Amino acid sequence: MAENTLNIYEKKAEEMTRMNMIGKEAVFEQTDGGFLSLDADGVHYDRVKIVRLFPFSDADKYLSVREYEGDGREIGIIEDLDEMPEGSKQAIEHQLMLTYFTPVISKIFSIKDEYGYAYFHVMTDKGECRFAINMGSNAVSKLSDTRLIIMDVDENRFEIRDVESLSQKERRMLDMFL
Amino acid sequence: MILRYDIPGTIEKQITLSENEKIYYAVPIDIDANGKWTGDSYLIVTTLKIYICNTSVTDVLIINELENAKAEACVGGGILSVKKDGRHMVLAHYSSRHLARYAYVARGINILISGRFEEVISHEYERICPNCGRVIPGTKTCPKCSGEGRFLGVFLKMAKPHKKQFFGIFFLMIMAAVTTLLNPEVQKHLINNVLEGGGDMATALRFLALMFLLSAGIVIVNVMKSNASARLGSRIASDLRGQLFEKYQKLPLSFINDRRPGELLNRITQDTRYISDFMADVFCNLFAILFIFIWDVIFMLVLNTKLALITFILVPVVSIIMISFRKTMGRIFHLQYKKNDDVSSDLQDVISGMRVVKTYGKEKDESERFKRVAGDFALIQKRNERFWAGFDLIVSFLMGLGVVVVVYFGGLDVLGGSMSAGELYQFITYTLLLFQYVGWLGRLPREITRLTSSLERIYDILAQDVEEEDKDLKEFDIRGEITFDHATFGYKSYQPVLEDINAVIKPGEMIGIVGASGTGKSTLINLLMRLYEIDDGRILVDGTDMKDISQKSYHSQLGVVLQETFLFSGTILDNIKFSKPDASALEIIKAAKLANAHDFITRLPDGYNTYVGEKGYTLSGGERQRIAIARAILPNPNILILDEATASLDTENEFMIQKALERLTKGKTTFAIAHRLSTLKNADRIMVIDGHHIAEIGTHSELLERKGIYYNLYNAQIQT
Repeated sequence: MAENTLNIYEKKAEEMTRMNMIGKEAVFEQTDGGFLSLDADGVHYDRVKIVRLFPFSDADKYLSVREYEGDGREIGIIEDLDEMPEGSKQAIEHQLMLTYFTPVISKIFSIKDEYGYAYFHVMTDKGECRFAINMGSNAVSKLSDTRLIIMDVDENRFEIRDVESLSQKERRMLDMFL
Repeated sequence: MILRYDIPGTIEKQITLSENEKIYYAVPIDIDANGKWTGDSYLIVTTLKIYICNTSVTDVLIINELENAKAEACVGGGILSVKKDGRHMVLAHYSSRHLARYAYVARGINILISGRFEEVISHEYERICPNCGRVIPGTKTCPKCSGEGRFLGVFLKMAKPHKKQFFGIFFLMIMAAVTTLLNPEVQKHLINNVLEGGGDMATALRFLALMFLLSAGIVIVNVMKSNASARLGSRIASDLRGQLFEKYQKLPLSFINDRRPGELLNRITQDTRYISDFMADVFCNLFAILFIFIWDVIFMLVLNTKLALITFILVPVVSIIMISFRKTMGRIFHLQYKKNDDVSSDLQDVISGMRVVKTYGKEKDESERFKRVAGDFALIQKRNERFWAGFDLIVSFLMGLGVVVVVYFGGLDVLGGSMSAGELYQFITYTLLLFQYVGWLGRLPREITRLTSSLERIYDILAQDVEEEDKDLKEFDIRGEITFDHATFGYKSYQPVLEDINAVIKPGEMIGIVGASGTGKSTLINLLMRLYEIDDGRILVDGTDMKDISQKSYHSQLGVVLQETFLFSGTILDNIKFSKPDASALEIIKAAKLANAHDFITRLPDGYNTYVGEKGYTLSGGERQRIAIARAILPNPNILILDEATASLDTENEFMIQKALERLTKGKTTFAIAHRLSTLKNADRIMVIDGHHIAEIGTHSELLERKGIYYNLYNAQIQT
């Protein structure tokens, strides 16, 4: 009986260390409810989660596909989203759109600082928006010398892909937070 | 937090409520179907239905047909999903701004699904003012929107208990202003009557003496004024600190819960420090400078109206130039400061990670990297120093320029005979004073607003109504029966840690709590200790809701031993007595003996009077733990809580403490968390927490028979 248990743990450990790659033959579909289903290796999953393993450095590569139910066991890893068939790709992209929301700032209209908070008015890839950051905390963090993540008071995240692509004027406004 | 927004009229018209149907929640959906920001969509929950609307109603769900609702937190936002006919559906997609809001709404929908009609109300504060869009500094209402003239109100509130000192300082300020303004007047007479008017030596000396007295007066008055202000500032700060601290201890836990712990700490430390800084640096000059400024302007106008008007045009121009210079300087020095930060954190990183760096042979890479960071810093520093050196010159130059203009036009007047030389001199002095204080006054609004928000934050706490303990709280001798009745709790409203916990624990029973880390074992114990209030459901003690029992009475009958023992600075005696200050010496010795602590205490040179704590005698982990156990059992509690009480000890110590604990737990309701299952062999029942729930509960042998989580854990441990 005890050996049995040991086997369970060994199996678990083995499962955890195994690299399962998910290839083109797996079929991802968007469900009526707006979530994502998967058929792979003869198994049907009503709903799966997609996790970006390198959300900043390689957002569309190495996506971990996990079960929704239970403790979210990993079903496998998609190496490159672009290599998936069009249908699956679209369904996955829709799911990522739902679970990752990091607007990318393309233009800074103004930054006004008032009593410890800075108010941003920007254009992002998700549309125009205004947000506020706390100047006392480390609201702006650097991913690299030119790439920034800005966390607002609500813990929304905004990204600036390349500071150098901003105009001189916009960069000067940002200087206070670098 | 607002859970029912005002819905635009166009949408409201499209929702027809049936009889008895009421709108409970209406919250914005700020991300549309394409993942873009949107501003006109709402999710509306009535007692019967859920409406999704953007300008018009796009979807309606009947609450009866749903199985459950869930606010799923994602990266940078979240989704509200419902389960219908076994299938998950996305209802709304929102940014992090509404994360907590939707957690409440989901909870509300689940209550409606279960057939109850309670409305969920959130006591959390809004972070952004719905009116003006400004960040609310942790107070209930937005200080900006809640009324003008607020500063005066809070300032007077703060000043009231210290009226006398305030008037004293006020008087000193006027004195300072008068002496400052009088000096140029005397100088004028010196020039006009003595130097130009051919006065004698005696008059000259008289004027000089007067000037000397005035100068000395300025110094003395200013020193007294600064002293008094600083003293008053620190007194006010310490008063407020004391009041805040007292209030914190009285406030309901839910209030503390709704706030980040650091925030409350900041109000005691930072906000009060800001007040004392303000008093010392700003207030002490505030009225003096205003007073000087006004009289300065009046004197200048009286002396020479034309010249005064010219100067008044000049002053704003120079000030604007100076302010913009200052801004640039603030920016570049901020950059330097940040870079300096980078350098030191980098350095610390490398030094504390030296072993890793060396073992991987990365010394060279690291020093290259550091050189680069340090080089960047040096570059910025060089640039800034150059700018700084120039700045000083430019400021003096600009002020000098102002004086040149005054001298030119004033000189013409003197030559023309409409102004005396002494008056010109006096005028120049006033001009310099004006320049000096304009910059200071420019910074004033900012300082005042900072003070106002600090004061607001403090009075926000002090003004909280405390639920007085007199609302019929019960006090009784606890037998130790604990009942969890649908208890649900999460530290953050949108992340439940324990969900729907149900269990009945008999008096005197020992319950072992096991489970992987992060599943909520310690949280369960925190709830038992009443450190937090549960969100839903009840915890009953001897059949009485825990909320209705007087905290003081409950805590006095509770013994707690945690993994990390905290001993206060003081003697061993003080530390043991902490739980029951009126205990007799014999009681204390008995408790120490029960805890296996008596023997080692006897071996210490100072016995029970040994000083422990930060600067005192260093006790080993086992010794500290045993003192903590003695402290826990001194009041003879009927409920004992042991959170990994022996996990940090070596085997021998653990054995000793286990022995001590065995004696203690007899006949007392005991909750013990343990990773090592062997320490739970005396437990009557084992509770396995997994996935926010009680996964298994039962005796050791029952759980082994079930062959579930406990079975696996147990076998894994006896084999290794």
